[in-house]
Amino acid sequence: MPIFKTPFNGYSVKFSPFYEDRIAVATAQNFGILGNGRIHVLALPPSPGAPFPEIAAFDTADGVYDLAWSESHDSLLVAAVADGSVKLYDSSLPAASNPLRSLQEHTREVQSVDYNPTRRDSFLSAAWDDTIKLWTVDRPASVRTFKEHAYCVYAAAWNPRHADVFASASGDCTVRVWDVREPGSTMIIPAHEFEILSLDWNKYDDCVLATASVDKSIRVWDVRSYRAPVAVLNGHGYAVRKVRFSPHRGSLMASCSYDMTVCLWDYMVEDSLVGRYDHHTEFAVGVDMSVLVEGLLASTGWDELVYVWQHGTDPRAP
Amino acid sequence: MAMRELVTGAANCDPSASSNPLGALANALVGSSSAKQERLKEIPTTTPAVEGQFFAQPEDHLRAIPGSESDHSLLPANAQGSEFIRRFHAAERGAFEGAWDDIQRANVPSVPHDVRVGINPQLQPTLDGPPQRVLSGLLHSFVDSSRGGLPFRPAQLPLLGLSEGDKRCIRDRSTIMARHFFADKNEDFINAQVNALLHSLDIDSDVRGKGPLPGRFRELEDYWNESQGMMKPGPHVGDAWAAEFNQHRGEQSGPDAWVNSFEQQHGANGWASEFDQQYSQLATVDQMGGVNVPNLAAMEQTRMLAHTLAQNEDPKFQNSKFLQFLSKMSRGELIIDDNQVKPAPGDWASEFQQQYTAGPSWADEYLHRGPDQWANEFAAERETDGALDYQWANEFSKLHVNDWADEFGKQVAEGSLVDNTSEDWANAYNEFWNEQKQQSDGSSGVYVFSDMNPYVGHPNPLKEGQDLFRRGLLSEAILALEAEVLKNPDNAEGWRLLGIAHAENDDDQQAIAAMMRAQEADPTNLEVLLSLGVSHTNELEQAAALRYLYAWLRHHPKYGTLASPDMPESLYHADVARLFNDAAQMSPEDADVHIVLGVLYNLSREYDRAIASFQTALQLKPNDYSLWNKLGATQANSVQSADAILAYQKALDLKPNYVRAWANMGISYANQGMYEDSIRYYVRALSMNPKADNAWQYLRISLSSASRQDMLNACDSRNLDVLQKEFPL
Repeated sequence: MPIFKTPFNGYSVKFSPFYEDRIAVATAQNFGILGNGRIHVLALPPSPGAPFPEIAAFDTADGVYDLAWSESHDSLLVAAVADGSVKLYDSSLPAASNPLRSLQEHTREVQSVDYNPTRRDSFLSAAWDDTIKLWTVDRPASVRTFKEHAYCVYAAAWNPRHADVFASASGDCTVRVWDVREPGSTMIIPAHEFEILSLDWNKYDDCVLATASVDKSIRVWDVRSYRAPVAVLNGHGYAVRKVRFSPHRGSLMASCSYDMTVCLWDYMVEDSLVGRYDHHTEFAVGVDMSVLVEGLLASTGWDELVYVWQHGTDPRAP
Repeated sequence: MAMRELVTGAANCDPSASSNPLGALANALVGSSSAKQERLKEIPTTTPAVEGQFFAQPEDHLRAIPGSESDHSLLPANAQGSEFIRRFHAAERGAFEGAWDDIQRANVPSVPHDVRVGINPQLQPTLDGPPQRVLSGLLHSFVDSSRGGLPFRPAQLPLLGLSEGDKRCIRDRSTIMARHFFADKNEDFINAQVNALLHSLDIDSDVRGKGPLPGRFRELEDYWNESQGMMKPGPHVGDAWAAEFNQHRGEQSGPDAWVNSFEQQHGANGWASEFDQQYSQLATVDQMGGVNVPNLAAMEQTRMLAHTLAQNEDPKFQNSKFLQFLSKMSRGELIIDDNQVKPAPGDWASEFQQQYTAGPSWADEYLHRGPDQWANEFAAERETDGALDYQWANEFSKLHVNDWADEFGKQVAEGSLVDNTSEDWANAYNEFWNEQKQQSDGSSGVYVFSDMNPYVGHPNPLKEGQDLFRRGLLSEAILALEAEVLKNPDNAEGWRLLGIAHAENDDDQQAIAAMMRAQEADPTNLEVLLSLGVSHTNELEQAAALRYLYAWLRHHPKYGTLASPDMPESLYHADVARLFNDAAQMSPEDADVHIVLGVLYNLSREYDRAIASFQTALQLKPNDYSLWNKLGATQANSVQSADAILAYQKALDLKPNYVRAWANMGISYANQGMYEDSIRYYVRALSMNPKADNAWQYLRISLSSASRQDMLNACDSRNLDVLQKEFPL
């Protein structure tokens, strides 16, 4: 399956929700510690082995840590930039006309963005300034700032069914669940003893979410009873950087880790680790599962490579 | 007690009714938790950007987004931005670019700055030149050092001309990332790594890039830091010193000038004496924690070395280009490759270097071994003890909290300070401690007795308790049964009935605690085992639930042969379910087996199967009210809230004082959006058991959802009179 070489270190990869053969990749120079960033919008090559046609590329003055496709418009992207800005890009426009907006409110690095899949008009950004901000595409300033975490917020994710509910994961070792209609967070889950780097909601059970932590584990939680996790998935050898639920199977998850592997998990079965891919040669930091093609996976890492492959096949196979 | 009543107490299978504090959101979640699979994420299709889809009318939108009123007042969209959006609306999809260009052209003379920001990003110089390559390599090797936790030893670097902003980025980001890489190392190791990097880049090694280490005890740390702040002129001794040092360094161009001016200010030995002075202050601080700085440092070094050596490295990591960078760096090859001009080090520079190396390490040591050390130790101790806060508590109490707090107070007073800092701190600590204790009560399985029990001294509290229980006076029955088990702590029946009463009263934590005591007294009691299985299911504790259900099967006279005599190391749901299916085939007329199967399927969220099992059991035992409640709870979990209400009604017909069923009824109404109705049921449940904490929480959620904020006060103050008057059933 196809492999794309990025000039900088990969940070995040996302499948388009509109085109089954399109992905976007966020990259940063020098592991995001210092330097520029670049966003690539790529089409998957028509035949395996052929090069990736690049639809668009946008440069930024600082590393790009994450991006999210708009759920309402097929060419619109939101990017989380290390300089604290959140930028909107239209990949159908030339680089000179981009970004459409640069929203500069966060005072520290923005680590993740998530586009609302049900309302489709708003998105969240989570940043190292301990806050989450709610934005809409049509406003020049954030709608709201959520400030309760005591340390960097590494991820925020919308609930797949409740348009106003989202969860956030922080280095303060907690997950908070929020309803944007409420003034404060509505639930605090002390999910790990170590920093929590990522989280995602189950797409088929709106009460279940998974968290990924520096403690090398992934934990699955039911917000109705969060005293104990529903499942604890061990198997990564270093901090787990990202976790994503499958859009097709309720209990399936993909994760990537500083141990350079991408793992697939089914938290409902006895041997939860159902797949392990060892194709990256440096930290694996971005992983995604296609909504439109079941079993299609994408990953990126600090080895500057983007892989797209079908579950069960070798990502490195030509 | 007949088998029929086996599961009487463990009535609820509705996980949403488990006793945990739900916030206001839960309504949205719990409310439709049932609709588990009805709506998948709709896959957006490729649609042309018709008007209003991409950028909706801004005015509508501002109102449409919930929560916007909670934050900023609405900002007027800036002129050009809204112009752009207006035109965009007007534009067909293809005309988008034109619209943008038009606006750009129209505004060329005076481009508002904020809209242009980022349009032509000021890229940083690409890091390709020789010095940049050095930097790049250095960062590589830093990241690389995380593999196997090798100490990071960069070689001396040439001057790179990094800007202050660059330095800050490197410092902050590498600190935060290092905390992720070196998760299993301590903060000192992380700081050592980061310091090594910063040092080689000549970056101020004040590595508090992003606050103290994150942890559960932040509150304490903050308090500590605050009180520290009050004790010293500056925020940190280390800071003050470093700042002063830097100031001198910055002001004076030549080395001599610096030395002179310093000597002028402080005398020839000024620096040393100042250092001593501050050091002795530190020593005071450290004494408080009973920690000796040099010893700790030595210990830490040894431990780190041992850890590094013990680390078994993945061959893949060995092949990593980072690792190769690292070794290259340590051999200095990279420097020779790039052969940069190094600044000629003068006498002053070397002298400075000497002092400088002494300085920061001292400062670091203070920063990370001083106040934090205490917190670290505290946290570490907690970690080792895991969830067993009791053990931790015991150990802690050995440390004589009060003595320690007194001493702290004394020392603060000696430091001639505002005395109440220490008091505040100690108070806050006590508060925090109590909170911790309360939390741990929840999950520790320790039974909490009521104060002021009128049944203590009663001649036969067990009989009294059984009577009260039969009459449905659960809270009274609990008191009587508590009196019984206080009198006869080994009475399994007393504990069991107490557990059942708690479960019916909607308190699974107490139910589990009581049942565990019952099991201690009688390890093979089937009723107790089944109750424990069900209660753990309610708490979604799968492993524990499976263990008890399996034990039930093993000790059962009829099905015991199905289970292997020794308990397997780990139980899998599928295996246990298979055993019970076998049992059901052996005797299809045994309702208990079907009940366990129903519970098991709840555990795996196979609600359709669970419903079928409970319905089978109900055909055999139509008058088991707790079984009707189980059926209702399962139906509620699988979208069928309306059916659930019928089942709960049946349970209440059979047992009108069944608190849990009343509360579950309320949940089902709330799930259907009928909040007013749900409130009535919660209030009814609470009037029977005002201690049902989760029912209070559900009530609060329903009150906000029904826009009855006027009654929130009554809810928060638990004023049942007002609530009952307002919401009669």
